Amino acid sequence: MSLQAASSPTRPWLTGMSEAIPLLGGYIPVAISFGLIATQAGFSAWEAVAISTLIYAGASQFLFVGMVAAGAPLWLVVAMTLLINLRHVVYAPNLAPWLPTSRLWPWLMHGLTDQIFALAHARLPQLPAAQRLGWYTGAALLAWLSWIGGTALGAVAGGELVARWALMGEILPFALPALFLVLVAPRFTSRRWSLALGLTIASALLLTLLGLTNVAVPLAAVCGALCFQLVKFDHCQKTEYTQGERHE
Amino acid sequence: MSSALWIAVLASALGTLLIRLLPLLWMQRRLARQGGDDSLEAMPQWLTLLGPLMIGALFGVSLTPVTPGVTSWLATAIGVLATLAVWWYKRTLGWPVAAGVAAYGVVMVLFS
Repeated sequence: MSLQAASSPTRPWLTGMSEAIPLLGGYIPVAISFGLIATQAGFSAWEAVAISTLIYAGASQFLFVGMVAAGAPLWLVVAMTLLINLRHVVYAPNLAPWLPTSRLWPWLMHGLTDQIFALAHARLPQLPAAQRLGWYTGAALLAWLSWIGGTALGAVAGGELVARWALMGEILPFALPALFLVLVAPRFTSRRWSLALGLTIASALLLTLLGLTNVAVPLAAVCGALCFQLVKFDHCQKTEYTQGERHE
Repeated sequence: MSSALWIAVLASALGTLLIRLLPLLWMQRRLARQGGDDSLEAMPQWLTLLGPLMIGALFGVSLTPVTPGVTSWLATAIGVLATLAVWWYKRTLGWPVAAGVAAYGVVMVLFS
C-alpha cells in the first residue's frame, strides 16, 4: 500500500478496498456505538441500520437520534443534521480534477465521508485515470458496508460487546488519527504550509477539547487558511498554493 | 418509526447527498468551461488551500482519545510518534497506521 504509486493494474477496486482497511479500525467501533445508542434511544435495529445506510454521516447521525429521543421538532433535527454535514461542501470540488467522466459519480458521492475524502485526496492524483473510478468505488463501498455492518452489530449486541471488549473499543479508533497523520504529513512541504497546517491541527484539537467538535473542522480549516494568507515568508511564490496538492 | 420520522430520515439523507454532490457538479462544469487548461490551475485558490487544511483539521479533531485521561493522552503521543517514525522510513499507508495503533494499544494495556 505505497503512498506513491502501488496499485493493481487489473483490479483497482481491490486496491481501493485494501487501502481503506485502516479506516475500519475507526469506523466499526463508532458504528457499534451508534447502533447501541440508537436502540437505547428507542429505534429498532432495522431503523438504526436504515439511518446508517441512508444518511451515512457519523456525527450527524448521533445528533439525529439524540434530538429525536429528546423530542425536538423534526424540521430542527433535519436542519441541524444538514448543518453538521455542511463541511462536506468542499470535498468533491477538491477531487473533481482527478475524477474521470462517468455517470456513476453522482451516486458514488453518497460515500464521500471525511475519511474517504482524505484518502482519495492523497491517492487519486497518484493513480492512472483508468483506475480511479474502480479505486474510489472499492474504498467507498468497503467503508459504507463496514459502517452499516457495525451499526447492525451494535444494535443487536452492542451492550455485550462494549462490556466484553471495552479496551479494544478505545484502542482501535486510534487508526483514524494515525491514518489522517499519514495523509497530512506529506503536505508539510514549506514553512508556510507547515505553519498553516500546524495551526489548523492545534485549533481543531483545542475546539474539540472545548466541546465544539461539530464546528471544529471548518473553523480550524478557516484559521489555517487565514494564517496561510496572512503569513508570507520572503521566498513565497504562487506555486505554494498547489504544493499542498502536488507534493511529489 | 412514524411516517414523519421516516420523512425526516429521507430528507436528511437527500440533503446530505446534495451537499456532497452539487459542489462536484459545479466544479465539473467550471473545469469543462476551462477546456484543456491544467485542472489544478482552473480550481479556485481558496479551494486548493482548504483541501489539505480540512485533512489537517480532521487529524486534530480525531486526536482526542475516546476516554481522555493521562494514560490515553500518553498513548496518543506515543502512537503519533510511532506512526510518524514508521511513515518516515516506509512512506506507505498501512504500516504506519498499524504501528501507531499497536503503540497506542501497548501503552493503554501497560498503564491501564
